[in-house]
Amino acid sequence: MKRSVFSLFSLLIVAALSCADNSGDKPSGKRVVTLGNTPASRPYSPAVEAGNLLFVSGQIAVDPETGKLIEGDIEEQTRQVLKNLVRVIEAAGYNKENVVKCTVLMTDIAHYQIMNKIYMEFFPSDQPARAAYAVKDLPMGALIEIEAVAVR
Amino acid sequence: MKKIISTKEAPAAVGPYSQAVEVNGTLYISGQIPLDPATGKLISGGISEQTEQVLNNIGAILKAAGYTFGDVVKSTCFLKDISDFRAMNEVYSRFYSTNQPARSAYAVKDIPMGALIEIETIAMK
Repeated sequence: MKRSVFSLFSLLIVAALSCADNSGDKPSGKRVVTLGNTPASRPYSPAVEAGNLLFVSGQIAVDPETGKLIEGDIEEQTRQVLKNLVRVIEAAGYNKENVVKCTVLMTDIAHYQIMNKIYMEFFPSDQPARAAYAVKDLPMGALIEIEAVAVR
Repeated sequence: MKKIISTKEAPAAVGPYSQAVEVNGTLYISGQIPLDPATGKLISGGISEQTEQVLNNIGAILKAAGYTFGDVVKSTCFLKDISDFRAMNEVYSRFYSTNQPARSAYAVKDIPMGALIEIETIAMK
């Protein structure tokens, strides 16, 4: 009896420790924003809200229906990326006017002007602060990735 | 107002920056590369080992600042080679199993000290 109580007690300690260690399940006022068809295999959330701040994960030109990168050039990919970005922002209860900062990553700096043209369609006025640069490669062979921070 | 975080449990900075800075309940952790905190040298190993070391370093800084992995709201992962994406994800998902942070990930031209991966982190509480 004594021994089984001891075992139970040890088990509880182990359980408590593993909970404390796996701190991933203790959201500290942070709210994870999910979309219906986010693949479970992705180790990140589409967006996370903390207080009145929204961090939107880098979006690439994936078709939300198929989960595959769309066929298309920089113009089409930029449009798809911004559509995806707006979709996540709106799922979180924000809108694109709440975006304060974007980071635009491209695989080719020669795409800068075309990206800007499409970007302007989405952010025609009171534009967010922004940084844009070319990186070596993007996931899934994408041409462009955009992440955003929004505040409301 | 801002508080500089410093711990021997994570590698010392390799340049003119702090390991992390906390201000108003937000913790900004500098980009971490897979350095051994004891030696300050890059660990030997491939992308899996390097990702694990980076996340252990991030864990040590979070702890020193009084935060946990559960408080992390945003990660940015820089890879030397985009073909390491899957292997990085596999290790990353062990550290962030639920309520995962928002994230961006991409390959850059080069990372300091010849590392294969660097991760910067924002945590809030």
